[in-house]
Amino acid sequence: MKLFRSLSGLHPAAQMHAEEVRAGKLSRREFLSRATALGVSTVAAYNMIGLAAPAMAQEAKVGGILRCAMEVKALKDPRTADWPQISNVYRGWLEYLIQYNPDGSFEGRLLESWEANADATEYTLKVRQGVTWNNGDAFTAEDVARQFARWCDASVEGSATASRFLGLMDAEGKALREGAVTVVDAATVKLTLTSSDVAVVPNLADYPCAVVHSSFVDGSDPAATPIGTGPYVPKEVSVGQRAILVRAEGHTWWAGTAPLDEVHYIDFGTDASAMVALAGSDEIDTCYETNGDFISQMDALGWKKLEATTAATTVFRMNSLSDTYKDKAVRQAIQLAIDPQAVLDIGLAGLGTLGENHHACSVHPEYFALPKQTMNAAGLAAALEAAGMAETELELISLDGGFEFDASANIAAQLTAAGAKVKHTAMPGSTFWNDWQKYPFSATGWNHRPLAVQNMSLAYTSTGSWNETGMANPDFDAAMARALALADADARRAEMETLEAILQDEGYLIQPYWRSLFRHAKEGVNVDMHPSFEHHHYKWSLA
Amino acid sequence: MLLFVIKRFGVMVLTALALTFVVFYLTNLPPNLEKLARTEGSVRMTDQAVADWIVQNGHGGSVFGRYAEWLGVAPGWALTDEKGVLRGRCVTNQVQTATYCGVLQGNWGTSTVFKKPVLDSVIEKLGQTAYLMAAVMLVMVPTSLLIGVMSGMREGSKTDRVLSFFSIATTATPEYVSGVVLVAIFASATTGLSPILAEWGWIDRKTLFLGTATSAQDNITFWNFTLPVMTIATYGIGYIARMTRASMAEVMTAQYIRTARLKGATFRSVVLKHALRNALIAPFTVIMLQFPWLLNGVVIVETLFNYKGFGWTLVQAAGNNDIDLLLGCAVVAVFVVLVTQLISDIGYVFLNPRIRLA
Repeated sequence: MKLFRSLSGLHPAAQMHAEEVRAGKLSRREFLSRATALGVSTVAAYNMIGLAAPAMAQEAKVGGILRCAMEVKALKDPRTADWPQISNVYRGWLEYLIQYNPDGSFEGRLLESWEANADATEYTLKVRQGVTWNNGDAFTAEDVARQFARWCDASVEGSATASRFLGLMDAEGKALREGAVTVVDAATVKLTLTSSDVAVVPNLADYPCAVVHSSFVDGSDPAATPIGTGPYVPKEVSVGQRAILVRAEGHTWWAGTAPLDEVHYIDFGTDASAMVALAGSDEIDTCYETNGDFISQMDALGWKKLEATTAATTVFRMNSLSDTYKDKAVRQAIQLAIDPQAVLDIGLAGLGTLGENHHACSVHPEYFALPKQTMNAAGLAAALEAAGMAETELELISLDGGFEFDASANIAAQLTAAGAKVKHTAMPGSTFWNDWQKYPFSATGWNHRPLAVQNMSLAYTSTGSWNETGMANPDFDAAMARALALADADARRAEMETLEAILQDEGYLIQPYWRSLFRHAKEGVNVDMHPSFEHHHYKWSLA
Repeated sequence: MLLFVIKRFGVMVLTALALTFVVFYLTNLPPNLEKLARTEGSVRMTDQAVADWIVQNGHGGSVFGRYAEWLGVAPGWALTDEKGVLRGRCVTNQVQTATYCGVLQGNWGTSTVFKKPVLDSVIEKLGQTAYLMAAVMLVMVPTSLLIGVMSGMREGSKTDRVLSFFSIATTATPEYVSGVVLVAIFASATTGLSPILAEWGWIDRKTLFLGTATSAQDNITFWNFTLPVMTIATYGIGYIARMTRASMAEVMTAQYIRTARLKGATFRSVVLKHALRNALIAPFTVIMLQFPWLLNGVVIVETLFNYKGFGWTLVQAAGNNDIDLLLGCAVVAVFVVLVTQLISDIGYVFLNPRIRLA
């Protein structure tokens, strides 16, 4: 009975999910992701399924300097940040309203809690009390409201946030709509959306949505005047060299004491073999990421392997704006010519799980299991012949190193074996990313996002800002609009079936695997691996 | 002599002008500007946003006009954007400070990669490279001269053959090969000498030397600086040694050397007193030529060992199409090349009285 009383007042869908967990229909991880997205606190969510929330690791030792090898890029206004590495530096002093944890749950940081109404058109945000900025100002509901105006300003060149809060924007989609964000009282902010949006919570947790002070100059370097609520401040940020975070003097951080005294990010470039050398000569305590063959090499040095299972993937996509791939039959034949298991085993050394050519992963709460595709490598030559393309050279473009290169090489080999003429062109990252949306056939790395509809709406709707396939399918767009109106993941799953089926059938994608992400740390260094490469410095410590 | 120096500086200015224009033109090709817009704005900007960015950040209009702005002979661009924010070449904190603000006015622009004034970046990085170059010269010059003289004084002897073999082998190995080989042998915890030495207890650390020189920027030690220095030096050692050997061998066949020998002077005194000075004229030019060559070599070695000096800066600037920084680097490179050549020409006069300047 006690359990029941504690449940009253929680979101009805969350209670339903809890039932499903008990019935074995839903995994714990999925439950946590869904329930917390609906505004149930992590502790309450664990309680609902009869578990105790994992206690924070035993009292961590305070003190010490942690050295992490990571590219140090030029800092930008957070809303235009385009790399997690950029955010990992400003995370030292800028915090987030909501945080996405590696276990798939959402945790309120600068928000105490939040609630969504049944159709996800209204969100009530409870602002955490007692938080101060490191210049002494109090953190208020106005601070929260002001962020939305920043995020919704579409006139900012390269804004990564403007497309994420369309429901809060005015009719032209240029700025925050009058009355969309209201400060109800000192501790409450209400969001009123024009249409349902289930991705508000995950979007708030994503790395461009860092919360900045009212004195922050739009477009400026956040390290110039580092006013934030977090426990650290930047002592030095030298692009391409290093970034040093030190404890903010005279600032009382709302969440207590972060164990580490300093975090040093040192830029050693991106060469993975250099990481092994650095680890071997004790120049670093942890690295940003370990991938491919280097995982076993780092293991061999006796370092701890930290893993995050994710929905990060590489999409080998064709673009229908190119003459070569405008024919759906050709795309389908190419898609079916690839054995995903071989790509996973050879291109990724088996460090992941199989994909299904529709960019939705079983870790996504709304994932629907489609019937397994039957691969047909023998059909490729005939399909190319039928389209008059038997002699056409298919050029597959990829980055010039890492697993993307290896997997592309494998795909090129499989296509060649199936009778196509294939050329594999490798480019360095600085060149590759200039035209990444326009290549006729290329390999793009996609990071993990908590909900399947997030990637799909960005990449495959006709209006998606990161649409790299040229796909414009009205049925898909319509189903996506419906899916984005369903806060309940189960209801959304019905639409997901349509979305996944259309995407798979259009044949734009070869999406052979989901990557697990790894990093390594020296013995005695307590860090974690996050599916979106987020560095939560306050969780880190040295033994 | 003075006239000669003035002429040389004239040539230097002309070369710098020509070179910077070439660099400016190449970095301002439309695809390069688009790339700059994407790194500066966002990787995932739309084409329209990219076009807007280029115009709004002073990269629109004729390439000659913009080059003149960079030089400081045309008024700097200024633009008030849709939010009423004034930006431009000569604008600091929204105030137009001057009409002209190019290199002639002492404004080298701002590096887009490092977000710092170009002059600060270049000077800081040149300082780092100077340490590397100085260390290389200290190792390279004495070693190579010694090897060259030793093998040249008795041409065809066993010493000559062994040393020549060594010289040819090192000079035939480019830096990007020798660097990798040296790292594999001396700086890997799993291959080469280090694991063996560590097992025998001869070294405390896991590796004999460090495979990256990043920490040398703060504190140079044998442990972090040996490999980059040796990588550059071995290449030069072989080359200069070969030059010295040829020159020495030639001098040793000269009449006056034979005369000195016949007069009964010891071999040692003949080599040191009579042959050496004359034999060093050719290597001197080669050594001075090594400075521009070193600027070149550091590009590879600094990138390989992650030592953030001039070469590394050049790679970053080129990779990110950082226009102002590349131009700054170009001017510095011209300056270094021509000044070292000037010194070499003047030094000649002192070594060889037969040569006069001007």
